[in-house]
Amino acid sequence: MTDHIVKSYDSELKRLDGEIQRMGQIAVAQLDAAIDVLQRRDSQAAMRVVANDDAIDALEHEVSHDVLRLLALRQPMARDLREVYAALRISADIERIGDYAANVAKRSMVLNQSAPVSAARGLPALAKLANTLVAEALEAYRLRDADKAMAVRGRDAELDAEYTGLFRELLTYMAEDPRQITACTHLLFIAKNIERIGDHATNIAENTWFLVHGEQPAGEREKRDTTAG
Amino acid sequence: MTDAPITFATAVPQAAAGAAEPSRVKLAARNLAFHYGDFTALKDISFDVPENKVTALIGPSGCGKSTLLRIFNRIYSIYPGQRATGEVLLDGENVLDPKYPLNRLRSKIGMVFQKPVPFPMSIFDNIAYGIGHYEKLSKADMADRVEEALRQAALWDEVKDKLKQSALGLSGGQQQRLCIARAVALKPQVILFDEPTSALDPIATGKIEQLFAELKQQFTILIVTHNMQQAARCSDFTAFMYLGELIEHGPTTTIFTKPTKQQTEDYITGRFG
Repeated sequence: MTDHIVKSYDSELKRLDGEIQRMGQIAVAQLDAAIDVLQRRDSQAAMRVVANDDAIDALEHEVSHDVLRLLALRQPMARDLREVYAALRISADIERIGDYAANVAKRSMVLNQSAPVSAARGLPALAKLANTLVAEALEAYRLRDADKAMAVRGRDAELDAEYTGLFRELLTYMAEDPRQITACTHLLFIAKNIERIGDHATNIAENTWFLVHGEQPAGEREKRDTTAG
Repeated sequence: MTDAPITFATAVPQAAAGAAEPSRVKLAARNLAFHYGDFTALKDISFDVPENKVTALIGPSGCGKSTLLRIFNRIYSIYPGQRATGEVLLDGENVLDPKYPLNRLRSKIGMVFQKPVPFPMSIFDNIAYGIGHYEKLSKADMADRVEEALRQAALWDEVKDKLKQSALGLSGGQQQRLCIARAVALKPQVILFDEPTSALDPIATGKIEQLFAELKQQFTILIVTHNMQQAARCSDFTAFMYLGELIEHGPTTTIFTKPTKQQTEDYITGRFG
């Protein structure tokens, strides 16, 4: 796309894009770190992950501020308007992803107070898949590639299916050994947080599609989270 | 507490979903072209202006939007060397046909210009002058018509106590609303506005834009503006013109959120090189 007649308009849009990219990179790193501290049972490191979430929140504030400024001073239209709108929506999704990652780290500290639970072994795979979806959704956004975004949206069903499997596994553990109920409940929440991260990756993908095409993607996406019946 | 079950509305009503109801075509251009001597200013323009809606014509300077507006009431015909081909249909009748009486056309299609030009006479006479051309009214009826027109133009409250004073003493915004009152006094069906607020401050502009919303209940409105935000704020349909051609025409929301043509996109996002 050609540049705006007013050059500073382009640099403001670019800055907004840069802020979202940075937010996304931090969020992906945070989720990786959260799962790492969970596996290593490292409460010190978990605390650092929780504290790092502030960086994402701060960037989200910057995005909100810049969006407001752009809307007020530039009155963006058409593709520009969709750029600004998508930036606001996507930054909110990344902020939530960051919150979930911090939650995982927080719960890992509680888990460290009891004996290791073997069911926790399924979590890293779930988290890895979720993080792949987030990274790919962000890459699709960076490239403004609607088709790539749709591929991410299609893969959320995989995550749902894995989550459902893990959910059943944890229920079985709890039924077998009631002493593990506390730990397994925390693991269940962690798994749910990770599953929600996948939903936010889907949102990012859908907003990327909207940014490019100016309409919502057609068709319901497939859902395989069957834990709620 | 009642035992009535809680129900949730699950469907969005059609109207709330933004479905534009079909509107009757009031004015239509058909294969319209326009020439200043050897220069072709407009090429093959065809589009519909729906009744009781505001349609905005946008485009860079020299794209032909004012020329198009001037064809609709045949103002060009007073200048030698200017000629239009094609048709302009008002309720299906071709008003460009030389047999279509100019007087009748002007009473049906009114026009308001960029610069307000009140006649050098009283506020009252500014309105009454045009009406007197078409109708013979009693003094009382004329007073009613003048009041009605000034009310429609949202000017009555400001001038009711000084109707005998010269119109030249009014502010720019008031003068423009006087010109609008003068146009609506003849009870036209269509009103053309050529950059009606470009000489006004934002408050006066706001008043005129609010007027569009009220006037469209009764009239069909066509505005030429190079203020895109104005087109976005107050029109139902927008047509984008460039180099004498109509590039894109559609609902205003679509044009400003998701135009289909690259040229439209470039123009409204400020990328025109």
